[in-house]
Amino acid sequence: MGDFIKHPFVDAPDRNPAPLIPGDQLVFTSEEKKQIQTWISRYPTADGAIMRALWLAQEKFSFLPPEVIKLVAEEVGIPYANAYGVATFYTQYFKEKKGKHVLDVCTCFSCQLCGGYDMLHYIEEKLGVHKGETTKDGLFTVQEAECLGACGTAPMLQITNGTFVHNLNKDKVDALLDALREGKMPAFTSVTLPQDEDEMGGNRRTDVNSVESYIVPPVSETVS
Amino acid sequence: MEEKKTKAGDWRSYQRVLLPPVKDLHKLDVYEKHEGYKALREVLTTDKWDPTSVTNEVKKSGLKGRGGAGFPTGLKWSFMPPVDPNIPRFLCCNGDESEPGTFKDRQLMEYNPHLVFEGMLIASYAMSIKTGYLYIRGEFADWITLMEEELEKAYAKGYVGKNIMGSGFSCEIVIHKGAGAYICGEESSLMSSLEGQRAYPRVKPPFPAQKGVWGYPTTINNVETLTCVPLIINKGGEWFSKIGASSHPGPVLYGISGHVNRPGVFEYPTGMLISDLIDEVAGGMRGGKKLKALIPGGSSTPILRADQIVGVTMDADSLRDAGSMMGTSGMLIMDEDVDIVSWLRRITQFYHHESCGQCTPCREGTGWLENIVTRLDEGNGQLRDLDILLDLCTQMEGRTVCALADAAAWPIRYTIDRFRSEFEAKCRPENVPSGGVLETA
Repeated sequence: MGDFIKHPFVDAPDRNPAPLIPGDQLVFTSEEKKQIQTWISRYPTADGAIMRALWLAQEKFSFLPPEVIKLVAEEVGIPYANAYGVATFYTQYFKEKKGKHVLDVCTCFSCQLCGGYDMLHYIEEKLGVHKGETTKDGLFTVQEAECLGACGTAPMLQITNGTFVHNLNKDKVDALLDALREGKMPAFTSVTLPQDEDEMGGNRRTDVNSVESYIVPPVSETVS
Repeated sequence: MEEKKTKAGDWRSYQRVLLPPVKDLHKLDVYEKHEGYKALREVLTTDKWDPTSVTNEVKKSGLKGRGGAGFPTGLKWSFMPPVDPNIPRFLCCNGDESEPGTFKDRQLMEYNPHLVFEGMLIASYAMSIKTGYLYIRGEFADWITLMEEELEKAYAKGYVGKNIMGSGFSCEIVIHKGAGAYICGEESSLMSSLEGQRAYPRVKPPFPAQKGVWGYPTTINNVETLTCVPLIINKGGEWFSKIGASSHPGPVLYGISGHVNRPGVFEYPTGMLISDLIDEVAGGMRGGKKLKALIPGGSSTPILRADQIVGVTMDADSLRDAGSMMGTSGMLIMDEDVDIVSWLRRITQFYHHESCGQCTPCREGTGWLENIVTRLDEGNGQLRDLDILLDLCTQMEGRTVCALADAAAWPIRYTIDRFRSEFEAKCRPENVPSGGVLETA
């Protein structure tokens, strides 16, 4: 029973860590500053724009170490503590450096019942890492994600807070990893509504290149 | 041979209204050709409508919120205080959609974004609001891009912005991108998130209509709720109130996932028989297996056993009588092979991860729930653990600022209640560690 309590005591974070982004790179361009000002103008107070500004910073620097959060806070014009609080609250802001592609494999219960853990374990085995870890070449980070809102196309994963990959199976994972290694990002995929298929014979959006449909979910082999 | 009439009426010949079968409806010009922004034009430019009459029409329609709680929308709107030109008012459209098992609002954003904007604009007019925020969860990055493109086109055509259609009514729509937190679907926490703070829920009262975002009167509605509003204006509240179950009328997007042959989002009236939804709409159970259980509307709604759904329809009253809730109508169907304890373990893991950490009963309680259910699932449990779990639930329910603690406790309470034998089977006497005292529950 000794290992029943799973929560270890957590050390307080280092208050003055060494910066991970060199000082000369730690600037916003004038376009980015303008963009942040546009966002600020849409809210009664500047605070509202902090989430978008942090997104912008994360896209630029790929993660949010304290110095980047400080830069964003200064640009938006709010206290650093507020910005730090926001950045550490939300799971999609990366506080430490991740791989080039972050694979968020959904294992929440709809995906769990339809093989989400099979896919997670398969990816873990294939890349030789556990969830939460980054491959040695710095290309992939595998994460277990909570419900991503695509339960009908379970199992599924999301690539670096962006594109969804629906109806996963082993072949699809293989192809996806190969494509990502070659630097090809999968396109936005529109999932056809079953009623549209009946009434219109296919997807209603003619402007998307990648179309999939809802299919019978696979049988799950592992449950957790 | 006349078939027994269900509350949903002749649903097999139902014509979809939220997602009508029109190619490229997301494009502004196509949307305009199909009565797009007609309701807004009528509301803004004809004398027939003023803010009060719009609210009354929505009240007459009997529209209930589609975000989970099922609160009457018209009534919610009428809670807004009288207009004071010095005090700004806000509308928030809740597109956070983070309840596990729910994936309906995404389809509206992908296939009919202008209906969402039109609904927001009419709601803003009814409550004399000048700014509407559309909060979309950060995971839907692609859909946020799509929505922003369409919003820009609507701005360019003058449907959104200053002096819409020359009526003197101005309204801005701002799309706010979240960053991955389940709690943001809760209305007061959504407001905190919008203000650029940690998304901690707030104590109610004061309710959002009195003190909402930035302390100003605010109304928060779900995406699907607001998309119903233009339809109510176009076709009348009476038409709407006659769709589906009379106590909970209107079209609903049923998101069916799990062990069925044809999962997906289906638009049908409320009051559909659950058995019809599984057997006909969703193409039956996968591999011809038997149904074991289902949740009717997202993870926090109580689970129903297969024998509990006989004759039950998808509307608030019928589901309440059956011992569950309508929730978000995101249904998860489970076949006979599902291990309920493992499934529950994943749910407790979810709530433990997503508890915001503000209130102690929830922050600590969700962790203990996960620990104990994990112990049970791994076969190390004792019968008394079930009592500990139920006791924990009692200590969590209703003792926190928001309903997340309740939402975490309900699945435990109802799953143990309805599948007790499965839990007991996992804690057989021989599994009790030596020295452990086995108590009979």
